[in-house]
Amino acid sequence: MTTDPDTTTLRARRVDLGASEDEAEAMFERGWTDGLPVVPPTPERVARMLTGTTRAPDEIVAVVPPNLVECSVEKVAINAVLAGCRPEYLPVVLAAVEAACTDTFNMHGLLATTWFSAPVVVVNGPITRAIGMNSGVNALGQGNRANATVGRALQLVVRNVGGGRPGEVDRATLGQPGKYTFCFAEDEVGSPWEPLHVSRGCAPEESAVTLFPGESPRGLADQLGRSADHLANSFAAALRTVWGPKAVIAFDALVVVSPEHARVFRESGWTRARLVEELDNRLQIPGAELVRGAGGIAEGVDPSLRDTTIPKFPPGGLLVVHAGGGAGFFSAIVGGWAAGAMGSDPVTRVVGD
Amino acid sequence: MARVVLDPTAETAPATRERTPRPAALTGLTVGLLDISKHRGDVFLDRVAEHLTAAGHTVARFRKPTFTKPAPIDLRHEIATKCDVVIEALAD
Amino acid sequence: MVGLEGLGIPSVMVASDQFTVAADVQARALGADPARVFVAHPIQDRTDDELRALADAALTALLAALVAPPDPSGAG
Repeated sequence: MTTDPDTTTLRARRVDLGASEDEAEAMFERGWTDGLPVVPPTPERVARMLTGTTRAPDEIVAVVPPNLVECSVEKVAINAVLAGCRPEYLPVVLAAVEAACTDTFNMHGLLATTWFSAPVVVVNGPITRAIGMNSGVNALGQGNRANATVGRALQLVVRNVGGGRPGEVDRATLGQPGKYTFCFAEDEVGSPWEPLHVSRGCAPEESAVTLFPGESPRGLADQLGRSADHLANSFAAALRTVWGPKAVIAFDALVVVSPEHARVFRESGWTRARLVEELDNRLQIPGAELVRGAGGIAEGVDPSLRDTTIPKFPPGGLLVVHAGGGAGFFSAIVGGWAAGAMGSDPVTRVVGD
Repeated sequence: MARVVLDPTAETAPATRERTPRPAALTGLTVGLLDISKHRGDVFLDRVAEHLTAAGHTVARFRKPTFTKPAPIDLRHEIATKCDVVIEALAD
Repeated sequence: MVGLEGLGIPSVMVASDQFTVAADVQARALGADPARVFVAHPIQDRTDDELRALADAALTALLAALVAPPDPSGAG
């Protein structure tokens, strides 16, 4: 880059760091980090970050909970710098902030819950290739800058702009490491199915983020299932315990199907919709197994429901994506949170410029 | 060289780091008196200690090894462990 | 000491009033505003009785710097 970015139009308050202050320590001491070091947001870095979008810096992106603060593009950019993003990631971060702050996704409720869930950002479309996201080996893990910093930028916006912090509005009993960052790209090229965002109404040439209120992934190993039916039985048994073995109807889940497992479904000709339907069919639970006290477990549903059948997940409560490395008959279940008006529903948002 | 960063927050809090919250009163607390080892500071602190003790406060005395350098980490930890508040004297 | 404040220990520093400007400069340099009480210069030339008088005069300010300000609503 040969042109100095224009810092004169930036409106955020300037904070003078003391001449004796260590820059990294200064970020920690002001409470701007998630516990890991952040990149000091100098005016030059923020101006450079803003070149990643055509949107005006003073445009309001979202109203961020819990303090319901109007958040500008510039404020998102400052937190994207903190997170370690490159300018070309900014449109994805902006879309994630927009999606998270919708009433449907209910970021406030998600932040305040004692449950584990936090925003999981699934990215689709051409932008995943353009910014070099990881959808393959270790897709849900560390090492890829875009995966790591896009998810982190969203969390930092909630913390710094929205004022949502652990021990304050964030009352999670245990939390989970995904609250640092949890963002990955779907592997569309190797997928047996249409991309997730297309299944949710986007055009294939669009890029989009889908936010899901997820806990940490748990693994599912099935190294012998070679028919779609056998594998679906395995998945259903694992899904049965999302939230707890006696929990039904109210919660949702994201299933990350790895390439080895996806091949089985492809060879049986199962579309994504078919897979979801087959899983739902296997997760119609007899009330007798669910009532309080059944199985020696105090939890459960009211005894009056003993003779009914209750679905594990509400309609639309299962999302399926394809990601992961080519070796390993392991898929992931990412349990969700309460679905519907009392909780959070997944939101897909197109990534603009 | 002045270094400037842009505020990532909602800007509802002051930019300068705030002092740590103070207790409502010193009743029952231990007051640390840290002598920074400049000459005569001990006389000053002795008198402060007299007043505090007469008022019923618990006093703990400490001394920096030398006034020319910051207090060593061990001393800071010891003070932080034993005291609730600290008076540091006397720079001239 | 800024370090002790960072450890959650309310602190107040006492300095000769020769240091008022230097203390402000240092505070800005550190990005913090530590509690300070100033006593009348000189220090080294004073008798013990004079130093004790300085301590007497500073005591109220020292204690005020270590406790929370009174509730302006007048509650309690």
